[in-house]
Amino acid sequence: MSLRQSARLAGRELRGGLRGFYVFLVCLALGVAAIAAVGTVRESVEQGMRGQGAVLLGGDAELRFTYRFASDEERDWMRRNADAVSEIVDFRSMAVVGAQPDEERALTQVKGVDDAWPLYGQPVLDPPMSLADALAGNGAVMDRVLVDRLGLRPGDTFRLGTAEYELRAILAVEPDSAGSGFSLGPRTIVRTAALDGSGLLAPGTLYESRYRLKLPEGSDLAALEAQAEALFRDTGLRWRDSRNAAPGLSRFVERMGAFLVLVGLAGLAVGGVGVSAAVRSYLDGKTAVIATLKTLGATRRVIFLTYFLQIGALAVLGIAAGVVLGGTLPLLLAPLIAAKLPLPVDFALQPGALAEAALYGLLTALIFTLWPLSRAQGVRAAALYRDAAGGVRGRPGLGALAAIALSALALVVIAAQLSGVAYLTYWAAAGIVGALVILWIASFLVRRLARRAARSAAVRGHPALRLALGAVAGPGGEAASVVLSLGLGLSVLAAVGQIDTNLRAAISGELPEVAPSYFMVDIQPDQLAGFLDRTGSDPGISRVDTAPMLRGVITRINGKPAREVAGNHWVLRGDRGVTYAAAPPPNTRVTQGDWWPADYTGEPLMSFAEEEALEMGLKLGDRVTVNILGRDITARITSFREVDFSTAGIGFVMVLDPAALQGAPHTHIATVYADAAAEAPLLRDLARAYPNLTAIRVRDAVDRVAGILGGMASAITYGALASLVAGFFVLIGAAAAGLKARVFEASVLKVLGAERLLILRSFALRAVILGAAAGLVAVLAGGLAGWAVMRFVMEADFHFEPLSAALIVGGGIAATLLAGLAFAWPALAGRPAQVLRGRE
Amino acid sequence: MLLEVDQVAKSFGTDPAKVQVLQGVSLRLAAGETVALTGESGSGKSTLLHLCAGLDRPDQGQIRIDGADIGAQSDSGRAGMRRNAIGIVFQQFNLIPSLDVAANLAFQARMAGRLDAARIATLADRLGLADLLHRYPDQLSGGQQQRVAIGRALAGAPALILADEPTGNLDEATGAAVMDLMLDLVADAGAGLLMVTHSEKLAARMDRRLHLSSGRVA
Amino acid sequence: MTTPMLSLRDVHLTLSGNAGAVDILHGISLDVQPGESMGLVGPSGSGKSSLLMVMGGLERATGGQVQAMGHDLSAMNEDALARFRNGHVGVVFQSFHLIPTMTALENVATPLELSGDRDAFDKARAALQAVGLGARVDHYPAQMSGGEQQRVALARATAPEPQLLLADEPTGNLDGANGAAIMDLLFDLRDRYGATLVMVTHAPELAARCDRVVRLRDGRIDADAAERDAAE
Repeated sequence: MSLRQSARLAGRELRGGLRGFYVFLVCLALGVAAIAAVGTVRESVEQGMRGQGAVLLGGDAELRFTYRFASDEERDWMRRNADAVSEIVDFRSMAVVGAQPDEERALTQVKGVDDAWPLYGQPVLDPPMSLADALAGNGAVMDRVLVDRLGLRPGDTFRLGTAEYELRAILAVEPDSAGSGFSLGPRTIVRTAALDGSGLLAPGTLYESRYRLKLPEGSDLAALEAQAEALFRDTGLRWRDSRNAAPGLSRFVERMGAFLVLVGLAGLAVGGVGVSAAVRSYLDGKTAVIATLKTLGATRRVIFLTYFLQIGALAVLGIAAGVVLGGTLPLLLAPLIAAKLPLPVDFALQPGALAEAALYGLLTALIFTLWPLSRAQGVRAAALYRDAAGGVRGRPGLGALAAIALSALALVVIAAQLSGVAYLTYWAAAGIVGALVILWIASFLVRRLARRAARSAAVRGHPALRLALGAVAGPGGEAASVVLSLGLGLSVLAAVGQIDTNLRAAISGELPEVAPSYFMVDIQPDQLAGFLDRTGSDPGISRVDTAPMLRGVITRINGKPAREVAGNHWVLRGDRGVTYAAAPPPNTRVTQGDWWPADYTGEPLMSFAEEEALEMGLKLGDRVTVNILGRDITARITSFREVDFSTAGIGFVMVLDPAALQGAPHTHIATVYADAAAEAPLLRDLARAYPNLTAIRVRDAVDRVAGILGGMASAITYGALASLVAGFFVLIGAAAAGLKARVFEASVLKVLGAERLLILRSFALRAVILGAAAGLVAVLAGGLAGWAVMRFVMEADFHFEPLSAALIVGGGIAATLLAGLAFAWPALAGRPAQVLRGRE
Repeated sequence: MLLEVDQVAKSFGTDPAKVQVLQGVSLRLAAGETVALTGESGSGKSTLLHLCAGLDRPDQGQIRIDGADIGAQSDSGRAGMRRNAIGIVFQQFNLIPSLDVAANLAFQARMAGRLDAARIATLADRLGLADLLHRYPDQLSGGQQQRVAIGRALAGAPALILADEPTGNLDEATGAAVMDLMLDLVADAGAGLLMVTHSEKLAARMDRRLHLSSGRVA
Repeated sequence: MTTPMLSLRDVHLTLSGNAGAVDILHGISLDVQPGESMGLVGPSGSGKSSLLMVMGGLERATGGQVQAMGHDLSAMNEDALARFRNGHVGVVFQSFHLIPTMTALENVATPLELSGDRDAFDKARAALQAVGLGARVDHYPAQMSGGEQQRVALARATAPEPQLLLADEPTGNLDGANGAAIMDLLFDLRDRYGATLVMVTHAPELAARCDRVVRLRDGRIDADAAERDAAE
């Protein structure tokens, strides 16, 4: 019964129009739109990748081997089950142009293909020609970046290893590039047959062979996968199929999407502050009505339901607007977005993402409106009487607090589940709540300080300042709104800024100090002595580390399939570098267990990297089976090592005793620490002597990574800007809400003989104080977040970045100043007589 | 002569809705004199008061305070004049909500650079505000707020006090008490008082009385 | 001696406000007989409005007993008090306090709707006619003068035919002519329903129309003044 009554009352109240609710609607809509947009793009990308799975992968299924080509048995199986098989080989090398002493050398990722490539999709060549023509004989196509770097034109020749190739065309589009994952060098494609005689595929060199299968219609991928795994499990085979063509990329997209949704949630929180302020101010204005209804006999429940339904209806409106905006904007901007992303995108309405955004919007609206709604229930009828002592509103009930807590919990848990990065979501939620708490305390402190300052001797003679301080301190609650909303948006920006600059400093600044200049791979055993000779005798080279290098896949732990024991740990994903050593390598420290004696021969023993071992749940004595070159080697873990991967030096997860890998063909890798001056001559000499040797310039790799990080930081910053926009709207809302009071105050001041400039100064100072407070707290919160991330997640040093901090405080002040002064004009222009007479 | 009003006329609005509120009003007020301004509502009393405060300019005529023509001054000049020479008490108190009682009392005097802590303390005592100095206006009763307003008006020792129905929002008893206080303080300060009122009783307590009817002195 | 409509025994009221606890009423004891009209007078801050609120169950006394129409108001929680008010008490305020987003008809019907009365709107229409506003039922408060708004408020207060009518300076915001008209209407309606009327006022001529006048000072009944009144 009370529900119907309340609905009727709510309907009548809605006749009052939307005045006062514009900020409410905008804040809610913006927050929901941001999340809806991110979700739509993410889903569209994932849909695109799923739809294009076969093209991305280059086949319906792919079998991958390291260090070797498929065995006859394996080929038989493939031919039996597939309509077509395409074999490619993928490895790193150096493309060399010109003759000594003016050689140009560049790192490239070489792909040798057979006649069947590609099974799906079409490469796009420039100038256009058929692939067969481009690759006939020793023909090659190259990525444009590489062509530019080497200064080549179609028709020019270059060398890979000891063989010469002719560049026929530029590779504009490689259909299965996304599926290959991240590589340091741009692409060169030649026929596999043309690689004979280049010295590049000698036993022990690191290459990967991939077999793409075109399967008959309606093939059961899962069944085939199971079959292949069962037959070839212990041969080091890795299976991938079009259901998840590029898992690394998928993971990346998922992660980025989750990140951005988290940032969107921060924006929604900021919007929530605005929502709360709008509802509070609206209900404040309804005090008389609520008291009247109570006088007439309305119970607390009727009051609550009436305004709950009313505000609920408006919330649904705002959320709907946000969903429509966020769901359709990406579709409208589809061509722009598709151009920016190197991924297949299938833009469409994504109901799942929209529902998620709407759900978050609803929960946020609940969280931020229940408090003021509950307080409204407590309006005393006394509010209607003149000279009412004892305040107007009671405290909200415990029920409201419980409902708010539950909604908040639900929001966080749902977000954690849907995002797929539960751990990160919980931390982010804690961060947002923590930031809000800190900001709320800060607003409280600011008001306290302002009150004290307003009374202190220091402001004598500065009436504008005294007025401003009084306004900040006084009753009204505007201070809290401003500091909270603006502060949260600024905090997110500050945190991103600090983390970004620190990471870049670590990568581009500190890392090069300790990192080697070059990573050299594919040093053949018979080349090692000469290599050490050349590098040892060079005064410009301070240090050289070498290690034998094999690659293997961990297939079993203690006899059970590895994935069963240690889940999806990164060590199990793909092949890992494995080495052998008689004594512990430099830069490693044995933390548990014992190293084998130098002349040990017996069952294979292994030393495992400690941190990873703990993560995987390994213990001393466990038996790990590694498949190297098709052969299983089961080794017993006898020690754990502490390995520092952060210096970009040589670091292996697994080290075996020398006897275990006796006879296995392998190459060596080396890290070279050289002065800048010594680099060019060194490369020249090594290239001449060992053309198959690949030198990776660490600085280039670091720059590449830094670039990607920078891109991610930009994306996140844009997301943070959304929360800032919401914060700005809250500011405007607060300024508008306070306009009447400000006009009144200005009129009184004018009557007392204050000049307009003084009044303007007091408004400006008020804005500056609040903006500075919000900015300072944001810098503090951002610095804290940055420190936490660098210290605990990155395990690197943290240095406070003053420039971005100063910009943020400045930005905060500018924003409040703008919003505050925008509403100052009507206040200054009002005629005092009218205003003062009209005021009750 | 403290206040001279010379044939002042004022209208509001534009044709055809133009209202002639004042039509040639004159009055003189010497220092230490108290004058009541009475008349029906709409007779222009409050408008005259606002003109005397320099909050608006007369269409015709002159208003001089201590010999200086208000109308000839700039906005800045008139603001300065209000700061230094005039204290105003309204019917609706009109205190600054974000300042406490102590700050409200001292505000105008401070702005004018005429702050005298001893004088304010005495005023606060006589107005019964000594215990309320740190309260905010929204925590005070109507009578208390009006007393603060009176204190504020007198704190800078202005030469002229303008009061617009100062007891209109107070009940009989409170209003009478406040009136007593105000007249005492004005007399002590030797200031001139021009007070708009519609109470015969109050008008009778002033030295002189001016009755306005339809914008003219009756 | 009939059972009193209202019976207050040693009623105290303390409220906690922005500046700490404030004692409003200090031990008020009085009876109001059914059908009586009582005027509450006193200086500002004497607690007369608060006393009115306590009588009507709009404020719960912090000490003492309040009996109204056989109900023990001091033992009822807020919702129970609201339900009590709905059937038994009609209130008229100085500032009218009509709900701005409702028409006159809806305003008057609201208390009847809240009690679940099926004929709410018919009764509301009749009540508006009784105060002479039958032609204005669909107008909003903003479209009405002060006098008309107070008449709507009167209709709202009396439509449920309450036994107790409370009025807090009902003519305070009205000029002479309108105020007199409202006063006449108020007493007229009271006579029609036989309700008990308690009215706070600071206008002596209004207090004089009441059967009894109770004077308050500093939250207590001013006994001296009562004697003086009786002596006159």
